[in-house]
Amino acid sequence: MDRLLRLIPIVVLVVSACAQAPASSAPPVTKVGGAVTFVATTDPDTLDLHQTSNPVSSTIFGWIYEPLVYQDLDNSYKGLLAESWMVSSDSKSITFKLRKGITFTDGSPLNAEAVKFSFERLQRVGAKSPIFETFKNVTSMEAKDELTFVMNMKEPYAPIFHDLQVSYAGILSPTAVKAANDNIGRAAVGTGPYKLKEFQTGQQITLERNPDYKWAPALFQNRGAPFIQEFRYRVIAEPATQLAALDAGEVDVLGLRAQDLSRYGSDARFKVFDSFTFGLTYLGFDAKRPPFDNAKLRAALAKAVNKDEIVQVVFENKLAKASCCPIAESIQGYDPKLKEFELKYEPAKAKTELDSLGYKPGADGMRTTPEGKPFKPVLYTSTSDTHGKIATLLQAQLKAVGVDLQIKQLESGALLAATPKAEHDLYLNGYSWNEPDMFSLFLSCDRVTSSNRVLYCNPQLEDLIKKGRTELDQAKRMQIYFDAQKLTMQEAPWQPLYMPVSKTAVNAKVQDLKQGQAGGLYWHDAWIRR
Amino acid sequence: MIRYVLRRLLLAVPVLLGVSLGVFLMASAIPGDPATVLAGDTASAEQVEAIRHELGLDQPLPIQYLRFLERLAHGSLGESTRTHREVLLEIADRFPYTLALALGAVVLSTVVGISLGVFAAVKRGGAGDYLTMGIAILGLSVPGFLIALFGIIIFSLNLHWLPVSGARSPASYVLPIVALSLHSAAVKARITRSSMLEVFGQDYLRTARAKGLRERLVILRHALKNALIPISTIIGLQFGALLGGAFIIENIFGWPGIGRLAVQAIFNRDFPVVQGTVLVAAVTYALVNLAVDVFYAWLDPRIRYS
Repeated sequence: MDRLLRLIPIVVLVVSACAQAPASSAPPVTKVGGAVTFVATTDPDTLDLHQTSNPVSSTIFGWIYEPLVYQDLDNSYKGLLAESWMVSSDSKSITFKLRKGITFTDGSPLNAEAVKFSFERLQRVGAKSPIFETFKNVTSMEAKDELTFVMNMKEPYAPIFHDLQVSYAGILSPTAVKAANDNIGRAAVGTGPYKLKEFQTGQQITLERNPDYKWAPALFQNRGAPFIQEFRYRVIAEPATQLAALDAGEVDVLGLRAQDLSRYGSDARFKVFDSFTFGLTYLGFDAKRPPFDNAKLRAALAKAVNKDEIVQVVFENKLAKASCCPIAESIQGYDPKLKEFELKYEPAKAKTELDSLGYKPGADGMRTTPEGKPFKPVLYTSTSDTHGKIATLLQAQLKAVGVDLQIKQLESGALLAATPKAEHDLYLNGYSWNEPDMFSLFLSCDRVTSSNRVLYCNPQLEDLIKKGRTELDQAKRMQIYFDAQKLTMQEAPWQPLYMPVSKTAVNAKVQDLKQGQAGGLYWHDAWIRR
Repeated sequence: MIRYVLRRLLLAVPVLLGVSLGVFLMASAIPGDPATVLAGDTASAEQVEAIRHELGLDQPLPIQYLRFLERLAHGSLGESTRTHREVLLEIADRFPYTLALALGAVVLSTVVGISLGVFAAVKRGGAGDYLTMGIAILGLSVPGFLIALFGIIIFSLNLHWLPVSGARSPASYVLPIVALSLHSAAVKARITRSSMLEVFGQDYLRTARAKGLRERLVILRHALKNALIPISTIIGLQFGALLGGAFIIENIFGWPGIGRLAVQAIFNRDFPVVQGTVLVAAVTYALVNLAVDVFYAWLDPRIRYS
């Protein structure tokens, strides 16, 4: 009897341990449930991932669709829908082996045909997609067997894995596309952890947990279905209303402005997450036409710019970090050694250089051109409040060296149209692209009539850009981008200003939320305290 | 009367065509074409050109307008360049919300405005008159968006009575309708007061009183009905203003109406949606004003349309 009694605690321990141990893929029952409401500043235009470059849509794609690969915290690429891949010896062909047992939320299986179908559709209808150009380099695709997909390219293309991990490269269900007669703007079906529940125009998009999801990346402790039952995207355009909705508990997640940080940072109802973003804001010069086709003039003006003052005054030293180089600190290719080539704030030097270039100050202290005309360069920027403040500060900084900067703020559509026509002298804007190949988008000769908004074309840089796109050896590739950055910093078509920092307030009811990569939050382990 | 209504409806057709042409020309003059906006800031020139071709924007302007008319004749307003949905569907999703807001504001502002105006006229020169007209001046001078923001702070954040944004429950209609109707109520209060004071001096009111009718009946049945003609004109005109002014209120309250749709469409250069929303607003405005004209005849049997 004594022996039996001694066994009782052991039995109880074993039974309770068995009861507590979660099944490998099923989350603990207590954590499943609840909803998190995000703010969407505009409606997502469409949930057809081949027909848009809208950032709100892109965020939602990240829940519904999944790409072949994902980018880990160390910037390396890991398999998501792909289990492994092999690059051919000439680097022109990639063979992906897909994971077994993955299904779309409509129940159809993920296979090589589905991947081929998705990418061929992107080639056919994806002119609005940011990765459309990438797939112009893809000559053919093949579904070799159920789980083997081959992609053949015209020439080696180093940023291919970056372009394959963006949310626009998600794989969609061919069955769903056919059922919707190719009209999937509101009938999105992917393999993601969430599926579309409801699309209320102008109000809210509701996503619900995919209970069959069991292929979460190794980034997460939870490899099965997410814990949070619903994600809602509520459309609220007005910043004051967004804050009121956060205070009232109508929304749970909101990106904060500098002026709101102290209030929400000390409020126990919220947790504030912060991280760098994949991008940079720069002051550009129209390098195609006089007078800013002169690199010396660009460099002189760049030295009159006080980046630290911008970060301090506009962002209260909280939502931005001064940047030295064209590639932001958060992006692969950034190298602190490049700081020695930075055109630092040296107003005295800027004045001397302007003098030597013939831009002499008049009686009122403001400079004239070598031809004796008033020197009044025009800065084009967007109507955003932040850009307005920076432009005003730049105006004051340039005035201190005798340059009378004019500001023209245009609504974003008009700004996009104005820059290829070279209506501007200076240009204030930013980019967001997590790949050193951003050079080919924003500073290459091919793009002077489109996304290269400073119209800068330098054959030497062009050569580096082309090499960078095709070089697959990582060390060699980084050296190419080191050289490209050094050249850009010396030639100064851009004066890099700052890297934005994102601060996000999240309702404290959300548990186990993790800071993700550059501005993102990792929600897959998160659950709601009830 | 039926012939008159039919004639007015027919006359509205060239007006609407004129409106559509005007909007088309204005839209074409806005810098930045839809293809550039849709392609985004990383697109190549070829991508922009491909989108331009897909949308038919590489065609001459008259051809583009004729195509719009052709679609219109087939009962279609075209497809949104941004969402790829039929413009009519986009509008159908949102118009009921704007209409509910505008109708709610018309009803509330009319009831409040007329009540205050009648009260002020009856209490002419007294404290009640000054107080009522003071409130009306306040309503005229304080912008609607300020009322909206104060409303959110008081009723949503402090008292937790009403939601901050959206149109998900009957309670969410309260703040937007109140914010939208205050200015309009103030205008109606002032018009009602002056219109009533004009009527007060008429012989038929003296006769009504001489017959021994109760003062309440004299004011409501005899004075107010006759004072309503200028007020009903204002109601019709203000309905259009409410449709247009709803944008700011829709933006503040995250309201899914056509005001927000139209402005978003302008920023996105989604011209089919811009044309569609303007046409729908114009049709609504024309119909409301026709209804007001018909209402005149009911108010004053001497008014006849031929």
